[in-house]
Amino acid sequence: MTQTALDTAMAPTINRRGRAAVGPVLGLLAVLAGWEIAARVLTDAFVLAAPSEVLHYLVANWQLMTRALGVTLGNAAAGFVIGNLAAIWLAGIALVWPRSEGVITGLALLVFCLPLVATGPILRVLFGPGPGPQITLAAFAVYYTTLIPLLIGLRAAPESWFDLVRSYGRGRISTLVHVRSMAALPYLFAGLQIAAPAAFLGAMVGEFTGAERGMGVLTIRAIRALDVEMTWGLATVATAVSVLVYLAIGTLARRVLLDDPPVILATPAPTGRRYQDGWIDICLVLFLALGSWAGSIWLFDLNPFFAKGPQDVFDALFLATDAAATRGTIGMALMESAIFLIPGYFAGLVTGALLAMLLTLVPAIVGTAMPLAIALRSVPIVTTAPLVVLLIGRGALGTIVLVAIMVFFPTFVACLQGLRQAPAQVMSVFDSYAAGPLTCLLRVRIPAMLPAFFAAARMAVPASVLAVTVVEWLATGSGIGSLMALSASLSDYDVLWASVVLVAALSAFGYGLVGAVERRVLAIYAPEQLA
Amino acid sequence: MGPTLNRRSLLGAGTAALGAGAFGLATGRPALAQTTVSLQLSWLHSTQFAGSYIALDRGWWSENGLEVSLLPGGPNAPVEPPVVSGTALVGISAADYTAAAINQGAPFKIIGVAMQKNPFVIASLPDNPVNEPADLVGKRIGMALANTPVLEALCTLNGVDIDGIEIVPTQYSAQPLLAGEVDCLLCWETDLPVSMAMQGVESLTMLMADHGYAVHSQTYIATDDSLANRRDELVTLMSGEARGWEAYRGDTDAAARLTLEMHPDAGLDLETQMLQAARQVPLMFSGLTDANGFGWWTDETVAANIETLGLLGQTVTPDLWDRSILEEVHGT
Repeated sequence: MTQTALDTAMAPTINRRGRAAVGPVLGLLAVLAGWEIAARVLTDAFVLAAPSEVLHYLVANWQLMTRALGVTLGNAAAGFVIGNLAAIWLAGIALVWPRSEGVITGLALLVFCLPLVATGPILRVLFGPGPGPQITLAAFAVYYTTLIPLLIGLRAAPESWFDLVRSYGRGRISTLVHVRSMAALPYLFAGLQIAAPAAFLGAMVGEFTGAERGMGVLTIRAIRALDVEMTWGLATVATAVSVLVYLAIGTLARRVLLDDPPVILATPAPTGRRYQDGWIDICLVLFLALGSWAGSIWLFDLNPFFAKGPQDVFDALFLATDAAATRGTIGMALMESAIFLIPGYFAGLVTGALLAMLLTLVPAIVGTAMPLAIALRSVPIVTTAPLVVLLIGRGALGTIVLVAIMVFFPTFVACLQGLRQAPAQVMSVFDSYAAGPLTCLLRVRIPAMLPAFFAAARMAVPASVLAVTVVEWLATGSGIGSLMALSASLSDYDVLWASVVLVAALSAFGYGLVGAVERRVLAIYAPEQLA
Repeated sequence: MGPTLNRRSLLGAGTAALGAGAFGLATGRPALAQTTVSLQLSWLHSTQFAGSYIALDRGWWSENGLEVSLLPGGPNAPVEPPVVSGTALVGISAADYTAAAINQGAPFKIIGVAMQKNPFVIASLPDNPVNEPADLVGKRIGMALANTPVLEALCTLNGVDIDGIEIVPTQYSAQPLLAGEVDCLLCWETDLPVSMAMQGVESLTMLMADHGYAVHSQTYIATDDSLANRRDELVTLMSGEARGWEAYRGDTDAAARLTLEMHPDAGLDLETQMLQAARQVPLMFSGLTDANGFGWWTDETVAANIETLGLLGQTVTPDLWDRSILEEVHGT
């Protein structure tokens, strides 16, 4: 999906070191200057600490920060490894048994769509004291963004390569070792890069379920105590670490990957699939999801006071005497959230795509814009959401901006890569007719970008749901995020579980809807992209 | 862990062993020892639970054969599930949350009341003060919308028209008051006013408990099953709590210092903790506890609680409070 976009984006920094290396420095300086000025202007508002104050805080409390960072980073790393191994394992199953792919991705999507606010306390009960929930939430946050690119990558090799292996009389194992794994590596690295900040966020939210120490623990403390230096200090450290891991994986990828991967425009569909297979898969996914839900409650012997099964949720929503009231409460909350989520989602998509186009037209600013974009995306939303809402108000704008930030970055990276995938031969033809960069952008690059854009738009659905529920839970106190937190504290577990089911189902439905739009749009504007 | 072997304890032991083996994440707690129990706290470590730290530090539990681990809470850590599932023997909740859980079918009893007075206050600034409920009329109050029933109950108890108050939904922070977006805040006596004091802003607080809002807070809850079958452990646990909190009362500064010493990674500030510890004392101790001992209640205080809980939409009976453990602790 987002394969090597970063490599290409960062390439100027490497290749033309002399000129382009100035870019990131300029970007960083601009941010610091703007930040310092804003903090000085807003000094009485108790929302923003200047970089100088943050630095002072970090120097004075470096031991505390280092210990907290060590704990959270350790949990995030464990979750990162487990989640990515799980993704590789699932991709392996789908490869060996192609018929299972639809079911695997469907189930994986459903689990990925489970809201953190609700899974945290359940994991805490399952694991008891210790780092279990932190590691699990970190793993949950990463596996899906690795699985999907990997599934594409494992098939992203020209047919002639497979023919070559076959002509030597070798079988599927050789194909896997010599062709598929090599083709998949860039996709794997792209997934790992996106996963790094996500794992850190997951580990921090896991600490909200009751932990002795860590960055998440300190975040709660800082926000409650109105300690703006500490809050921004934590945000700075978390962002810096996420950016460093992101860049480290990028560097590793460039060392490991010898050649640019062959450009495969379309996602090759698994062979021999028919239309009705999709519906069978959806039914299988529903059946397996309901089965494993009820099954784990039985297996772990969870108390019916807080562990509600499919039957309980159905009763609460349709059969109980207060079913209509329950539906009304959840429906209202979902509407409230949708009002924030939908504009934020589209704002993020449009900003991401436009910035990617702008960078394609004016490549000189890539070096400045890219590190800024990475940094913005790596700021853990749990640290800054309450402050951003304080800063720009708890009206619609604060939430919409935060949702847009979560959506913007993956879209931007994907679009940047998509724009660069314009077929060279077509570009040469346009060149020979002396077409300008704008014509090339409109007629060649944008159609080439569409699959990547839609892939990002699909992945952005769960991301925006995560953003809106976290902001509502921690900052604004409205919508479905707040309803879930409130029903947990009031032991209204029927409403909690029903909300979880509806949020996950609606997220998966939104994902499917974007897929449907994608097929219609590609059929009209870029039919060659449909395999 | 319950004494009987069931699917979860088997699975739990399995996953725990796997986890510990694979990642070296053992918590250092001897597994499945009969005398090991957990106390689930309602929030992150702070002087809010310093009485428990004193009991732990001075060995008042271990000398009676009980090894207690104190499990920290957090914003996403409801207390009731670990108590129901047996992860924790006792949890620290509040009468309103416990009542809600009971009405959802949880088998709980309140076995002790640490905060005799509910810590909810209306905090305001001296130049625009809220000294009594009637002063709220015409004011903008910053609060979480989820706490609207609390304000409604206060208004009903004091004959104030809630429509005369402008509710501004804010997150739990003193910032909106300091920035002048609201005139007062609905918060706890022991947190936002303390944060403001540490920022050099002296605020006024009107304790809602002084105006009829009777909801026991920081209550100890245990399941009916534990009350029937694990009485000795409950008595030892509560006895250590009572001793710890009496010692806390004797020297709150020392209690704050111990809190920081035992939890160096909690990011606590000593001065803030000392102030919080001192402000907590009047909420926890009263003539009632002086006469009968830590955690006590009477039929009258329970009746007042039932009335306020009724205003909050929770119907409960006096059975929710079970004083038998405290009676054993205090030898009455």
